[in-house]
Parts: sequence; C-alpha cells; structure tokens
Amino acid sequence: MAILALKSRPTEITPDADKSGPIELVRYVCAIGAMQSAAAIPRVVPITHCGPGCADKQYMNLAFYNGFQGSGYGGGPVVPSTNASQREVIFGGADRLRELIDSSQTVLDADLFVVLTGCIPDLVGDDVGSVVRDFQKKGVPIVYAETGGFRGNNFTGHEAVTQAIIEQYLGPWDGVREQGLVNLWSLLPYQNTFWRGDLEEIKRLLESIGLKVNVLFGPDSAGLGEWRSIPRAQFNLVLSPWLGLSTAKLLEARYDQPYLHIPVLPIGARQSGEFLRKVAEFAGLAAGPVEQVIAREETRYYNYIDGFTDFYSEYWWGLPARFAVIGDSAYNLALTKFLVTQLGLIPAKQIVTEDPPVEHREAIREQFRAIDHDVSVEIEFAEDSYLIHDAIRKADFGHKPPIIFGTTWERDLVKEMKGSLIEVGFPASYEVVLSRSYVGYRGALSLLERIYSTVVSHSA
Amino acid sequence: MTLNLKTSTVETREQRLGTIIGWDGTASKLADESAFSRGDCGGCGSKARRVCELEGPFTQGSVCSEQMVECQAGNIRDAVLIQHSPIGCGAGQVIYNSIYRNGLAMRGLPVQNIRFISTNLRERDMVYGGADKLAVAIRAAVERHAPKAVFIATSCASGIIGDDVESVARAAEAEFGIPVIPLHCEGFKSKHWSTGFDATQHGILRQIVRKNPEKRQDDLINVINLWGTDVFTPMLAELGLRVNYVVDMATVEQLAQMSEARATVSFCYTLGTYLATALEQEFGVEQIKAPQPYGFPGTDAWLRELARVTGREALAEDYIAREHARVKPLLDELRPKLKGLKGYVATGSAYSHGLIGVLREIGVEVDGSLVFHHDPVYDSEDPRQDSLGHLVENYGDVKHFTVGNRQQYQFYNLLQRVKPDFIIIRHNGLAPLAARLGIPAIPLGDEHHALGYQGMVNLGESILAALQHRKFHQDIAKRVSLPYKQSWLAQKDPFALSRSAVA
Repeated sequence: MAILALKSRPTEITPDADKSGPIELVRYVCAIGAMQSAAAIPRVVPITHCGPGCADKQYMNLAFYNGFQGSGYGGGPVVPSTNASQREVIFGGADRLRELIDSSQTVLDADLFVVLTGCIPDLVGDDVGSVVRDFQKKGVPIVYAETGGFRGNNFTGHEAVTQAIIEQYLGPWDGVREQGLVNLWSLLPYQNTFWRGDLEEIKRLLESIGLKVNVLFGPDSAGLGEWRSIPRAQFNLVLSPWLGLSTAKLLEARYDQPYLHIPVLPIGARQSGEFLRKVAEFAGLAAGPVEQVIAREETRYYNYIDGFTDFYSEYWWGLPARFAVIGDSAYNLALTKFLVTQLGLIPAKQIVTEDPPVEHREAIREQFRAIDHDVSVEIEFAEDSYLIHDAIRKADFGHKPPIIFGTTWERDLVKEMKGSLIEVGFPASYEVVLSRSYVGYRGALSLLERIYSTVVSHSA
Repeated sequence: MTLNLKTSTVETREQRLGTIIGWDGTASKLADESAFSRGDCGGCGSKARRVCELEGPFTQGSVCSEQMVECQAGNIRDAVLIQHSPIGCGAGQVIYNSIYRNGLAMRGLPVQNIRFISTNLRERDMVYGGADKLAVAIRAAVERHAPKAVFIATSCASGIIGDDVESVARAAEAEFGIPVIPLHCEGFKSKHWSTGFDATQHGILRQIVRKNPEKRQDDLINVINLWGTDVFTPMLAELGLRVNYVVDMATVEQLAQMSEARATVSFCYTLGTYLATALEQEFGVEQIKAPQPYGFPGTDAWLRELARVTGREALAEDYIAREHARVKPLLDELRPKLKGLKGYVATGSAYSHGLIGVLREIGVEVDGSLVFHHDPVYDSEDPRQDSLGHLVENYGDVKHFTVGNRQQYQFYNLLQRVKPDFIIIRHNGLAPLAARLGIPAIPLGDEHHALGYQGMVNLGESILAALQHRKFHQDIAKRVSLPYKQSWLAQKDPFALSRSAVA
C-alpha cells in the first residue's frame, strides 16, 4: 500500500534523530491514550477514529490494570470508535467518521466531544480536520487532535488534546483578569495512578492560601465551565518537570497570560511550604496569612511525624537505607526530593522513563543534581524495562535490602533482590487506588504509611 | 472446507465461517439461520455471509485480533512475543501480564512477568519502514531470554506501510535456529477479534507443531483453554487420559507435541475451532465432535464421545454415573435457593451457549443473552458441534438472543428488556454499566468455573455470593449519571439506529 505524505501536527512533537530501540514491558502508551485525558474532564467524551482495539487497549491498561481507577463518565467502554476496517484503510475513513460523530450526538450526553485519531487515519491521510470543522460550523461542541500512535506517547497526546481544546474551543479573549484565579497544569491523568487524589490535595493547598483553582481534570474540576475561564485566570501554574509547559507557552502567546513553572511536586512539609511561598509570591499574596496557613498545616503534619518517630528511630529489624525510583520525571523528582530531604534516604538509582522531549532533559537533570545541599543525583533516561532492570541490578544498594519505587514490572526483580517494592506508577496492577494521594502535607503521610507498611510486612 | 495452512496469513473468520457481529432475535431463529441447519438465509446472497447482519452508524470501541494474539502467543512460558507496532499496541502488555500472573498462580506454576517486546515504531519508520527495528527486536529477544520460539504480532501500522515481516522472520529463523513466527493480525483486517485466536493457532501449526511425529501418545489429550484452574486433569484421569493444556501457559514443547496426541478438546468452540480442526486435518489427531461439556446432557455426551474415540467407554460410564449421583443432591439443595432468579449471559459466543445451559440446569431463568459474535458454523462443519442448536434442543429457546461486539450503549436497552437479577461476563466494559443499574456481575476469569458436573454447583454458589453484592450496586445506582441521552435510554430497540440505517 502506498504511503501518503504526513500532515503537519498541531503540537510540538519533534521528530528528533530516531535513536529509539525496542521497548520491553511498556511504561507509557501511545498518543491516542490521551483519550483518557479528554475523559478526565467532567462530561467530555472522546471519539476515536482508529482500529477496533485501540480504545480498549488504552483504557484497560491506563485506567483498569493501573490502580483500577475506573474509566470515568465518558471514557473507557463508552468511547465511540470507528473501529476502522479494511474499507477505511483502502477508501479512507472520513465518511465513516462523519457518520460516527453524527450518531454520537444521538446517543451520548456530552458537553464536548474530542476526536482523536489513531495510526490508520494518520497513515491513509484522512482529512479529519475538515470533517470536524463541518460540525463546528454547525455549532456542535467538538474539537480534534491528531494522535496516531507513531507520532508520540500519551504525554504528547495529552498536550495535543489540551491544546486542541484551547485552540478550537476557547475563543479570543480580552476581558479583565481575575486576580487569584490560577490554571493548574500538572500530572498526566490516568498515567499517574494517583492523579485524582494528588490534584485534590494540590487544589486544597492552593485554596488554603486564598487562590481559586481551575484544576481542569478529574473529579474536582467543574468541567468545561472551568476551561472557558482559562483565559480569565491571573496565571498558569505548571507543576511538573515539563508536561504542561508547552500549553502554558501557548496560553502566554494566545492570551498574554503569565505562567509560573515549579518542576517539583511538593511532598511533605518542607516542599509544600516552599511551594506555597513561591506561588504566593508570584500571585502577589501577602506573606503573613500564607505563613499562618503553613504553620497550621505543619502543626498537624509534625504531630503525625512525631508519632512516626518512635517507629523510625527504634524499629529493631532494620529499615532500608538506599532506594531507587523508576518512573515518570514528575513523580521521580518529587519522591526523590522527599525521600532524600525528609527521610534521609540515599538515592542509589533514579531512572526517568516517560521519554521526555530532548529539549527538557537537561533541565530535568539539573533538578536532580540539586536534590539537596549535600546530595546530587545523576539520572538515566530509559524506557526498555530489560535495560532498566539491568541498571537496577548493578546499582549499589549497600548491605541492606533495597527499596524500589517503581511499577508492577519490578515485582520479579524485587523478589530476586529480596527488597521492597512500592508501586508508584504505570503500570500499578497490584494497587487499588481511589482517592489516595502521595503529595502535599496529607499525601506525604499516606506515602509514609504505604512505604513502611510494605517494609514491616516482610516477615508477615 | 479445507483449512489452508500453506499461506502465512490465516483466513479471517468472516471468510471461513461467515461470522457476524450484529443480530437480534430468538436463539432458535439464529440456530435455524446458521449453516449448521439450513445455510443461506436467501436475502444476503453473498457466500460468506449466510446470516443477515445488522450494521449501524454508531459503534463503541471493540477489541482487535492483535489483542487475542497477545493473550495467546504472549502467554507461552518459554517464548517471546514481539509486537511490531508503535508503542500503543504495547499497552496490552499490562493486562495480559496481570492475567498471566494470575493464571500461573492458579495453575501452581512459577509466577513471572510476560516477555513482550515492542519494536516501538515511530514517525520515521512509517516513511522508511520498520524491518530493521524488527530484526533488532528479534535479536534482543534471543539474546535476553534464549526463547524456544519468537512470535511476531503485526499491527495496523506495519500492515499499512507494508513491512516485509516474512523475510525478516525467515532470516532470523535461519540465524538463530528457533521458530520465528509471524502472526498476521492487523486489527482492521477482521471485524471480529476471534480471528486473532486463529492467527496464533495458524502460526503454531505451521512452525511449532511437529510435522512428522515419531511417536503417538495415545493417552494424551490436547485441551485448548485459557488460564483456567486445572479441572481437566482429574476429570480425564478418570478415563486414564493425560492433559496437554494449550495455548496459554504452555511451553513450546507442549505445543510441539500436539500432533502426537490422541484427541483434542476445548472448553469453548469459539476459541478452539481452528486449532482442533487443523490438528485433525493435518495430523489425524481427532477433534471431539460433541456438544461442549456444560450441564448434564452436554457433559455426558462430551465424555461419551471422548471415551468412544479413545476406547474407554466403560470407564466413562462409571465416572458419569458416579458424578450424577454426587452432584444431583448438591443441585437439589441449590435449586430452591436460586428459584425465581433471572440471569443474563454476556460472553463470547460458544461459551454463552454452554453457560445458558448450566443456568437452566440449576433452575435459573434465562430469557436474554448477548454474544460478541456468532459463527454460523465451526471449522469442522460437523453438526455434532452445533453448540447453539444443542442449547435450543436441550434447554429450549432464548427469547432475546443478541449478537453485538460488546457495545455498551446497546447493553442498557438489552438489560431493560430482560431485567435480570445478575449477569455473567468475561470481557470488560459491560459489568460497569450493569453495576450502575444495580445489577451485579459474576466475572468468570476462571473459564473452567462452570464446566462439567461440578461446574453447575460452582456457578450456583457464585450466583448466591453475587446476589449479596446487590447491596453495593443498588447503592451506587442511586448516585450516578450515565453518559447516554435520555432519548436513547428510553429506546426500546437496542438496534434502533441500525434498523433505520438499513431502511
């Protein structure tokens, strides 16, 4: 079959010199996995134009066998799909897509549809934009993003979906900015197993110092109403090493809206306090009330840490000293920061696995190098689990059993190394996660519970 | 019809069997329209489409053939599966790892991760081709795991760009001296995922099964199954027979020896039809042609046929008599507890035929079922395998018998039509909707749960346990909103859109 020229992409998925090799045991999915990002917005329904298995694969693995999160109002098995067949491959699938969008409106109750393409239409060259624009002209709330699997992973797909909504659904804006309103761009929904609880805690923290938050994804979002108010916000807060930065830059260009970039998701009192102070300063909030909030949170936090101290200081059977983290840069950085600065653990190996765009890698390295005043970490970027496990085996964990923060893929490895495993990322098939969070003041306490329940269970 | 094992690509189900994915009516009508009894329905005309099919404009995500390759070829203990695809097809590694690990644990085998490698095709490969990456991945598979065989699952992307998977596989086979087996399973090529079972089995037959077996193992029975608990070993031991479980969790050697076995059976003709028929055609390993082993009549007939083929009639009669005597009092205890309950079966095609029979044996009412596709005939073309006909003849008709490839939007209307007390499922995506309507599900992750005589007792007990779950479901039902429009939810006909599309 002939291959047609590829169309330009709506996002910055740069085709760098391709050094990609085989990947054993995946740690992310493809760009159309971002159908779950659309589904993470209340009452938004993705429409997928792809082969018959794509939608099922993405949600069953992101949303089910990863913390058993559930796939949301319009996600998972609800998602319409053209289930493209031989006919669409040979003759093109634009008509089939039109028919599907049309009938989706008869069946589904949605505030917005987000069309996502898979490999098939992106390879045969369906003009999806023109199909969707016809519906937009008729006033149907619908946008599209090109997310063919070969174009990128679910991180870049997420940016494509986010930016499609901004560019195709939000109109021009020249109103008055609402002081104290902030748009939050942070963890990748569903890929990060704990995103719902984490976004709730971050929102709580920001609200505690008097800000109003467009959290945009998840149960704490008010849905499209929030999205429509994006241009009105005082600023964008990018709380992740790199994800969301290109969206913030888009909003800066489009609406002249400033952004604050904080790479480290705060875990524990030290990071949370620092986080709140930085945000407050950028937002122009008075320091006094913010310090009161921090003091109140710290009182509660250190009360529990005080109780934990008995255990941490005299548990007879030894606690791990050295740890490794295998995971997405956001959690990897946040966990490493907390474990090093709060608990005094020694980082043995940190492997960043989500294939961050090349232009952000040096900044991520720098963050790890400055993990604490006396600790500097050199990270590796790797995605192939065979190589990753090899690197973990070779790492120096000293004389004690290691503790590994990773995924289900590390189950066998950790047994072999007689260590402990905390599943903190995709895929976490041995965790059932509802509202659990590992960030902020409260999440840090849950994290401590999880870590040390696992460690003391060794003899159970 | 002779199965064509000469070409590397399997013929799809729709080509071989006239498989359909949309139909609604009574079970007896579908059995009549299917080729086992009458053949051509007259209206459709085309040879490969013997039963008139409903098609509609609205479809939700289905499942593809490649996923079925993952769950079969990817779960062979000493092989590696290479997914020649962009990274997204690799998403399935997560679910099939979880299922594999659970299956190994249930079977008492060492629990380990699956061994899947994605060739990780990118944009550049779409232009220049991905054959080099495939060669690299095969080498990695061999060097890392020293497998006894390497399978290659193709993808929509590799199919469209036309990568020459065959040549790469042949070269690797020559270099490494192990079978390197391309499985052609592009999702767009078949309307039903069960073609993926056939694709895997086709590859195993062509490149793993011993072509000229030097010996026969006259007491060995191939059992085509998935990850279920080991119920066949004790059952077949009663007949002095040994079990060779295939394909999941088997070793390459266990697959290779299939041609030495005395006969082949399966828990579900949807899964086993191709492999069992081909083993008979190519190697004379007889396929047991009988109803599936569910309920008394099915299990009796199945055991008797197996006994006849293997010359163990007396042992079988003795076992059947003992099992009847053992199980009947247990069922007599269960039936009053299950009286008045209504069940709904939403599973793979032939499996549902068996399960409905079991439900009726234990006194549960069934007037509706959803099967994900329908094969008007199996590859043997032997009427003794007419599982739907067997159901209708032995247990009567099913009023609302629906074929649909797991469309959740229709499932709402289907459940409203029947209003069951519980549903039985295997595949994902339907139980979550039923749950939000207050209806609990029995997920049969262990496909052997309802099989044979003991299966009737097992299923009865599972129903009683699931009914208690209703407390949870009825609570949540009051508090959720569904993503479907009221006008659609009020629709009485689950196929209303399809019918208007045809008209």
